Amino acid sequence: MNEQLIAAYTSQADGLKGTIPGVDMLRKTALTGFGKHGFPTSKTEDWRYSDMRRFHKAPFELVDKSVAVEVPEALGQTAARFVFVNGRYDEEASDLGDVWQAISIRPLANHFMSNEYRVDELIPGTDGVSLLNTALMRDGLVLSIPSGVEIDDPIEIIHVMTGGTNAAAHMRHVVELGEYASVSVIERFVGDDTNYWTNTVLQARVTEGAKFRHIRVQEDGPNATHTAKAYVNLGGGAEYICTNVALGANMSRFDAVARILVDGANAVVNGIALAGTGQSHDMHTHVNHIVPHSSSDQVFRTVADSRGKTSFQGKVTVAKDAQRTLADQSFKALVFDKTAEANAKPELEIHADDVKCSHGATVGQLDDKAIFYLTSRGIDPVTARQMLVAAFTAEALEKIGFDDVKEALMGRIATWMLQRADRIGTQR
Amino acid sequence: MLKINDLHASVDGNKILKGVTLEVKAGEVHAIMGLNGAGKSTLANTIAGRDDYEVTAGSIEFQGKNLLDMEPHVRVGEGLFLGFQYPVEIPGVSNLNFMRTALNSVRKYRGLEDMSAAEFMKLIRAKAEKLGMAPDMLKRFVNVGFSGGEKKRNEMVQMAVLDPTLAILDETDSGLDIDALKTVAAGINAQRRADTAILLITHYQRLLDYVEPDVVHVMIDGKIVKSGGKELAVELEEKGYADVA
Repeated sequence: MNEQLIAAYTSQADGLKGTIPGVDMLRKTALTGFGKHGFPTSKTEDWRYSDMRRFHKAPFELVDKSVAVEVPEALGQTAARFVFVNGRYDEEASDLGDVWQAISIRPLANHFMSNEYRVDELIPGTDGVSLLNTALMRDGLVLSIPSGVEIDDPIEIIHVMTGGTNAAAHMRHVVELGEYASVSVIERFVGDDTNYWTNTVLQARVTEGAKFRHIRVQEDGPNATHTAKAYVNLGGGAEYICTNVALGANMSRFDAVARILVDGANAVVNGIALAGTGQSHDMHTHVNHIVPHSSSDQVFRTVADSRGKTSFQGKVTVAKDAQRTLADQSFKALVFDKTAEANAKPELEIHADDVKCSHGATVGQLDDKAIFYLTSRGIDPVTARQMLVAAFTAEALEKIGFDDVKEALMGRIATWMLQRADRIGTQR
Repeated sequence: MLKINDLHASVDGNKILKGVTLEVKAGEVHAIMGLNGAGKSTLANTIAGRDDYEVTAGSIEFQGKNLLDMEPHVRVGEGLFLGFQYPVEIPGVSNLNFMRTALNSVRKYRGLEDMSAAEFMKLIRAKAEKLGMAPDMLKRFVNVGFSGGEKKRNEMVQMAVLDPTLAILDETDSGLDIDALKTVAAGINAQRRADTAILLITHYQRLLDYVEPDVVHVMIDGKIVKSGGKELAVELEEKGYADVA
């Protein structure tokens, strides 16, 4: 990779020395890794569907501009809201609610002052993008839910970008659930209309019997680049239920890596992506069944307008000992016309013999016959198409768990369709 | 009410309708009979406005307005209803949501307020019961997993809820056992009033035993070749199309 770029990012990392106690060594390791890997290119198999050229131009810069921001309204009832502006925690804009009494919540930047030993649990990253996250992370949220504590309403983490052209924010969130604890986290992303980059890693440890619901709502600005990764380790009978909703940004990518380490665990990774003209959304999953008697389920539904692009690469690994694994995967894409693109690459890697695994992928257009049927009952064509797209995406939103959030997201989908009412193509 | 004059229509460049002329007046029930491929369904779909059916000549007037100028949903607002030969399955959309959206769309077109959820439930439950449709089928996805007979009943429930001025029923009797046929016929007869009209499309006479038509037309190769009273249907059944026409 370009030496100048590496030098620029090295100097950014140097500038962060000492800012988070205990992580300097980790940064260095990650930076060395980044220097070796560099940013992926479109020739990198795992990144082949993403336009990576943006990373090989001028470096993205950390910004300190912290202006008073308008925090978007919550999608529904929340237990607490944490606001990050340009990658830094904004205490004033946040609303801690009452949950802090029951659980431990700290901004990453303060966390390791009291818990230095946990630094080595931070995951350095596995590719250029996540390695750079570790090298350049400045803040994030560390959520620890003690054993047996159940938080009913979701905790919302809102990422706001206002830094302008080439601004970057690298955030690291850590979610730790004690045994039989439960929490729901909504990650939201919004920002200005510049070409900023937001890069987030969330790592979670879901111990025995615990339940982690993870909802991601990506509504970044139209020119933004959004990359995010979730690393989730599951203990016995634990549950991870993720719904990723990709709406904004010029290019977005979400990777979910779930590892089932003790039997009886269940991982659900669902997602929706709506790609407007010139937009691309990339979703990657890797569910790794390491032990017997575990299950996973993936439901992805995407819609692409003219020259929009959605991609899904879903990998399921079943280790030799992971007998009685149940793993399902379903990807369906709607494309408006011939210039829209949908890519699907399911990958099943099964080493055990007593398992039930399935996958399916389809790409199609809205059914003319269904549209005519609805309009022949008096429903106007725009509403008819909205209904069909809502129906198409519904299955992927089923596991959100909060009716108000689900309704808000269905509203987003309806609006998105309305904005394209004049040119939603069908077969012809 | 409906005036069709010298209608020509093509599907994928194939000429299917080759000059259909037909007039249906308020209070009348007409039956169009003919063999497969005669153009009966094309006629029904052209009246309803399916956009891959291209009208190349002729006119359709509905209650004094040019129907061909209207989009399909507008035609429904004006009082038209098409009962499908093959009702479409729509996974993910519940029957209730579908019918309520449909009814309120039509009401909106006519300048009426939305019907409240409670009022709508009352209406649809009553109509479903009359047509022998189990209440739980209303909650299911539109036509998904319905038997042929259930789909046709569902069409009748939709018709009853929308209460059209002109109902065109395309092979509504096909695939029905005798009990279902009787229920569907009762649904059609309930729609028969002095201010409404019904156009039945069928190739068997048996529906006409239960819904007595005022006029029977015979359609062959895209044209109406013969019209007469209900006795024409009996004649067709006995002698076959070749001899009658």
